[in-house]
Amino acid sequence: MSPTAVLHSEWIKIKSLRGSIGSLAAVFLTTVAVTVLVFATVGRAEADNADAEPLFDAFYALNFGQLAAIGFGATAVSSEYVNGALRVSLSAVPRRGLFYRSKIAVVGGAALAVGLLTSFTAFLGGQAFLGQHAIGLGHTGAVSACVGGGIYLALMALLAAGLAALLRSGVAVLSVLIPFNLIVPFVIGDVAGGAAQFLPDRAGQQILREDPTGVLGGWAGLGVMALWAAAAVGAGWWAVRRRDA
Amino acid sequence: MTSIDVQQLTKEYGTTRAVDDLTFGVRPGQVTGFLGPNGAGKSTTLRLVLGLDRPTSGTATVGGRPYAAYEEPLRQVGALLDAQAAHGSRTARNHLLALAVSNRITPARVDEVLEETGLSAVAGRRVKTYSLGMRQRLGIAAALLGDPAVVILDEPSNGLDPEGIIWIRELLRRLAREGRTVLVSSHLMNETATFADHLVVLGRGRLLADTPMREFIASHSKPRARARTTDPVRLRAVLARAGHDLTAVDGDGDGDGSRWAVDGARAEEIGRLAAREGVPMLELADEEASLEDAYLALTASATEFTAGPSGALTVPEKPAPRQEA
Repeated sequence: MSPTAVLHSEWIKIKSLRGSIGSLAAVFLTTVAVTVLVFATVGRAEADNADAEPLFDAFYALNFGQLAAIGFGATAVSSEYVNGALRVSLSAVPRRGLFYRSKIAVVGGAALAVGLLTSFTAFLGGQAFLGQHAIGLGHTGAVSACVGGGIYLALMALLAAGLAALLRSGVAVLSVLIPFNLIVPFVIGDVAGGAAQFLPDRAGQQILREDPTGVLGGWAGLGVMALWAAAAVGAGWWAVRRRDA
Repeated sequence: MTSIDVQQLTKEYGTTRAVDDLTFGVRPGQVTGFLGPNGAGKSTTLRLVLGLDRPTSGTATVGGRPYAAYEEPLRQVGALLDAQAAHGSRTARNHLLALAVSNRITPARVDEVLEETGLSAVAGRRVKTYSLGMRQRLGIAAALLGDPAVVILDEPSNGLDPEGIIWIRELLRRLAREGRTVLVSSHLMNETATFADHLVVLGRGRLLADTPMREFIASHSKPRARARTTDPVRLRAVLARAGHDLTAVDGDGDGDGSRWAVDGARAEEIGRLAAREGVPMLELADEEASLEDAYLALTASATEFTAGPSGALTVPEKPAPRQEA
């Protein structure tokens, strides 16, 4: 079968579902909206604080955008598990490896493109409100933070996509990943500082810091997050390959 | 020759055998009816043919190859398994377009099948606004997308209105006339009788019959003749001597208007007896047995089929679909 044709087909599936195309757009819209809201109101006051981290703080809104990225990855895959839609998809593309690879590539590619756009827009847009406190792309680590922020969003979407294939349900993915990202780091955060820094979101966000905390550097942290995403995508592949459709 | 060949196919779910050592073939140029009660293993067999489920043992091939070995399978085999499978939030056109593109079928063909199934006017509407009948038509449109040599339809008349049922019947006849291999599962006997040439009958996952429909009806039904006479008393006596029984079908069982039936006899035999004895006959004809009668006679005689405590409903026809948001 033609891999290009299958990729194209997967893209049509994503853009023709309001749930998946909507959550992809929400990655950008949420992040930018929260950035504008926060920076236009308390931006300067926060930047004036002694413990301000100008680079890391610029990506504050990514915490919200990542929820949309999780939603995107989850719906893009879980839509195949509504009422046996997967049977129709697999009768068109019976090579499950090709089917799954194409879906993951489209989810990852779309999330990366939107993620990079989001991350650069949020960084530059937020700084526009800071006047004398503003930093530019010339600031140490700013470009790698912007690129890393885009990759971070894409990896979040892939983590969700892999889990959706394993759990066959978008709701199940959200109820695993959202608490995992929002609650677990706070609960075990400073108690077990050693382990928490290897959680996907903590590790991935090291790239956004000018001075990474803990043992993981910026790219190493993103690498750890990529391992989490790879594990989820791998588990999803196992499920797609082994299970009856 | 593009046939479907099922060889010693077995599928077990846990300890339940949904399909049990099944062997049959489906030939081109005719409509093959795939019959059996709910839970007989029809849908499981179709999923195995399409490579969606893995058999426990045995093989299923289309045109001599496993389904998954086809380069662009929609161009060889079109299937409707479940009309609910199209995602409700997609429009019909986008649903078909995503399928078409994956097999390099032109978007123009999408419009053709929409036209053919009468969905052109509603192609831009979301599938969740469709009635069951419209979803069936969409499923059939998807099956026809690649102009395939093999068409497999699982319960295609479900939810169709009378006009739709006539449409599907004529579509199936036409596909077979064009030399395609057409396999249509159903649990509706009278409906199947209107389009099938050949029958494959399952019961509890096993093959009960694989024969042309006419032979099937002839071999699984007893002859029965209907008669009207001015002298039922003498006719009864004549028939009794030949070992037949005369039973009243309607009327008061006496006058000329009464209709009688003779089980186990053909019209020619009764006609000969009546003529020899000079019994005046007003009407005499063989009663055509229905597919339904033949089917019920077969399933009643298949002991492994009736042995179960709760009839045929022990094996779910389809795994329950998982829901999500």
